[in-house]
Amino acid sequence: MFEYLVFFVFAAMAIIFALVVILHRNPVVGALSLVVSFFSLAVMYVLLEAPFLAALQVIVYAGAIMVLFLFVIMLLNLQHRHEPSTRPVQQFLGYTGAAAFLITIVYYIGKYAVYTMPAGPFHADARSIGLALFQAYVFPFEMVSILLLAAIVGALLLSGRAIGHRTGIGTETTEEPAGKAEVSR
Amino acid sequence: MIPTTWFLILGAILFSIGVCGVLTRRNGITIFMSIELMVNAVNLTFLAYARQFNQLHGLIFVFFIMAIAAAEAAVGLAIFISLFHHRETIDVDEANLMHW
Repeated sequence: MFEYLVFFVFAAMAIIFALVVILHRNPVVGALSLVVSFFSLAVMYVLLEAPFLAALQVIVYAGAIMVLFLFVIMLLNLQHRHEPSTRPVQQFLGYTGAAAFLITIVYYIGKYAVYTMPAGPFHADARSIGLALFQAYVFPFEMVSILLLAAIVGALLLSGRAIGHRTGIGTETTEEPAGKAEVSR
Repeated sequence: MIPTTWFLILGAILFSIGVCGVLTRRNGITIFMSIELMVNAVNLTFLAYARQFNQLHGLIFVFFIMAIAAAEAAVGLAIFISLFHHRETIDVDEANLMHW
């Protein structure tokens, strides 16, 4: 019974704060609401018997990624900028399209994905995840590390070049970072 | 034990909210946050099915999705910083540098 109470409270929190993200005009409020929504999802992961992924959700999403979002919003000083609203036809199509999608998918979940069989005991601690990662999934794991390295290099190249271009330092040598990238490839 | 279907419906609602945000907003950062919301809804669905069928593969997928979302956030925000320095805006309707 207590489990159901926790589920409904945190499901309502996740949905309400997700709505705040897409409806509020100030991106700082949106980012902080998204942190609360992700935290509620971490509670859902605990209810799904995956406490290790709940910890990862709080550390990686609510901690690292959302701090990056907030940092960029405040670096670009976006919270004082007025956002013009989209065209009415776009608003209408967006809301009706999303609602139609939701109704369709809930209908098909209710029709086909109702499991009368209760889920069995599920052991998803850090030990079994680590064993699976380094035995069956060791190649994708290494590929993800290379992908993260490529993302770091790409982010540095994109943002660093723009700053050099703006301050006029790199105006004569705008081609230089691209040339370096070619060499390093 | 909470039924798996409820988690699936919660994931569907969060995914639809994300779709709505991507379709109706102009602010690039908000669109990006809506995409993160959709990614998390998919993660919740993966975990619900992982528990239902007692498979560890769903958890590993969630792990990889988290790593790829981190990479995506870094590159996407760098693109928005670059766009802001060129155009002084992050309105996605203004991002038409590749428009013919």
